[in-house]
Amino acid sequence: MASPENFFSNAGRQTSPLRLLRNRVLTFLCVSLSLLTLVPLFSIVVLVVKNGLSLVSPSLFTQLPPAPGLEGGGFGNALVGTVVMVGISLLLAIPLGILSAIYINEYAPASRLSGAVRVVAKLLTGIPSIICGVFAFAVVVLPTHQFSSLAGGVALSILILPTILLTGEQALLGVPKAFREASFGVGATHFQTIWRIVLPQALPAMMTGIMLAVGRAAGETAPVIFTALFSQNWISSVMQPSASLSVLIYNFASLPYAYHVKMAWAASLVLVTLVTVTNVLTQIVFRKKYS
Amino acid sequence: MHQEPARPHTLTTFTSALNQLRGDLLTMSSLAQRNLRNSLRGLMERDDAWCNDVIAEDEEIDMLEMQIDREGIEVMSRFQPVASDLREVVASIKIGANVERVADQAVNIARRARKINEHPEIPEIHLLDEPARLALSMLDDAVRAFAERNAPLAVELKARDKELDRMNRELADKMVNRMQDDSANLPIYLNLILISRCLERIGDHAANMAEDVVFAVMAEDIRHLGK
Amino acid sequence: MTSEENQPSSRTLELTDDFVPGESNFIKVDDFKFYYGEKRVLHGITLEIPSRKVTAFIGPSGCGKSTLLRNFNRMNELIPGIRHEGDITIHGTSIFDPSVEIIALRRRIGMVFQKSNPFPMSIYENIVYPLRITGERNKALFDETVERCLRSAALWDEVKDRLHDSALGLSGGQMQRLCIARAVASRPEILLMDEPCSALDPIATAKVEELIMELKKDFTIVIVTHNMQQASRVSDLTAFFYLGNLIEMGDTRSIFTNPAKKQTEEYITGRFG
Repeated sequence: MASPENFFSNAGRQTSPLRLLRNRVLTFLCVSLSLLTLVPLFSIVVLVVKNGLSLVSPSLFTQLPPAPGLEGGGFGNALVGTVVMVGISLLLAIPLGILSAIYINEYAPASRLSGAVRVVAKLLTGIPSIICGVFAFAVVVLPTHQFSSLAGGVALSILILPTILLTGEQALLGVPKAFREASFGVGATHFQTIWRIVLPQALPAMMTGIMLAVGRAAGETAPVIFTALFSQNWISSVMQPSASLSVLIYNFASLPYAYHVKMAWAASLVLVTLVTVTNVLTQIVFRKKYS
Repeated sequence: MHQEPARPHTLTTFTSALNQLRGDLLTMSSLAQRNLRNSLRGLMERDDAWCNDVIAEDEEIDMLEMQIDREGIEVMSRFQPVASDLREVVASIKIGANVERVADQAVNIARRARKINEHPEIPEIHLLDEPARLALSMLDDAVRAFAERNAPLAVELKARDKELDRMNRELADKMVNRMQDDSANLPIYLNLILISRCLERIGDHAANMAEDVVFAVMAEDIRHLGK
Repeated sequence: MTSEENQPSSRTLELTDDFVPGESNFIKVDDFKFYYGEKRVLHGITLEIPSRKVTAFIGPSGCGKSTLLRNFNRMNELIPGIRHEGDITIHGTSIFDPSVEIIALRRRIGMVFQKSNPFPMSIYENIVYPLRITGERNKALFDETVERCLRSAALWDEVKDRLHDSALGLSGGQMQRLCIARAVASRPEILLMDEPCSALDPIATAKVEELIMELKKDFTIVIVTHNMQQASRVSDLTAFFYLGNLIEMGDTRSIFTNPAKKQTEEYITGRFG
């Protein structure tokens, strides 16, 4: 029998000082690099809050943008425009994306069509957003002879469709097979199993994917410039050009007037806050009920 | 007839535990066979030394019987044997008990032989030659049937047991007659009857062992048939 | 079914002495072959399962016992690329008959799986799920069913005060008994159990086994198990499968004291491979 001292000293290399040192250095490196990644994120937040907060007031949300050179007013119409366009894009992309996800995961996981859909969706995630804008311009703006928030919504929906579809599929894959077996085992139909068992389980993960999509859609400028253009007025119809926060930021930031630049900062703050708040709220609402 | 399962268990400790049990039982059986032979030799050759040996050796057989019981129980609790393994373990424990009683009968014979040896020799003692030979061969064959897993040999023992019973009855009748004619040697005649009875019991035990062998090998219970 | 030509072929079915096939034979499997794609995994199984008895399927992994079990309620049809030859009848009706609705079939045949799989819902909702999917909304019937099923799964006393708590808060053994309760909610006649105790500790296993003995008064039970002691404890009949063939089926006592086939003997005594 080895004595306790022998037991540990036999481990040899384990206790070599060089090893210990290397271990500490690497740990330190990992921690500091992780902290480094937080720097840009925090700088953005700090910068946006510092530059934008001073302008925030109720009138910012209720009034129309000032003409170049003037001061006062707000960007109520841009806020509404963004909400409307993101809403339209979700209205189009969620049913399409989720139903496709259900089809390729639940009904025909091994079929050629499902394989094709998967590949195309993955390709689409990498497509430059401006292409979505050009596409919506060609299929909506040109035939209707009209820039419109509808066209903006269509462009954004194409942009977010693959995200919703792929995260939707992952969410469905995350539901254990055992639940489906149990449901089929007591005589449930395919539809009942999906509707009553699988979807409720997949919902939280699906909502995460949808929130990612919302963040992306709300912040995109390129597809919207091409399709919804911009407007100085309140939105009156989805068939009219519309203002949006992202385009407002883009326009005002490049103007030579200090007040407009400040307003662009404020719009950035509102946009970031809007996306964050929606995100947190959905997480709370769609939390798993039983776990 | 079933062959011995060709393959060993996946669990080698299971196979060795069964082999150990089997080995101990065979050791015990051969000791009992030797004791029976020696006790009869003590009787026939009128030599008390053989008888004393038998009485002394019996203790080892008793110890082996307890060991076999322990080993059998351990195999059952550790490996939960089924089918042929289970039958073999159960049969081994029962055969062990029978062997122990055979050894006890050998001790009885040895004790009676010492009593007879106190008196002058009489020719009637050779009336025991036949039953002694038969009882010995039955024990030998019962042990062989177990060692070889030979069911036909075991089945055949039951008929020989009936023959031994008949011999025992005849001998008793003859002895009763002799007792009336020759009351001087009455204690010898009485001991001869009792030894004959011991031989008859040994035949019963051998037959029981044979029945256990048939159960172990063929899973058939041939006890209490034809009654 | 007494004439010579209707007797199951001796190639696939060897009945030991104590087992007498009678009119109580309830599930009949007739020269059943099953394929995953090109691969045949069951090579012509013929057997009969009597009603209100526990029949155990044993055999090494991949022997086809679970596959056969999952054919009884056609659960295998969830897998693409499967096909079968031969027939399985219950009460004389082929389960593959076009007039048999797969949904109805599964309501007549409850199934309990290897890993307990209660839905992430309350205990109560788990049991009424089989009723809800038929469109049933009667609260009184729900209450009555929940009590009846939990009682028959010997779980009522343990959970009656927390019926609306999450089923996922139960212990492993309780979850499995909840799954049994759910399986009997649609009043099936047959219960299929696919290694129901393989994830349970010995005490929970004993409770489930006790429950199986209780349930066989009302249900025909077919249980797949890797635990041969379990098969010998709970079953009346045992069928031994090997490489997609039925090697031997018979009275459980005979199988475990004196199997007719050498392969069975080698398997149950642990002398395999």
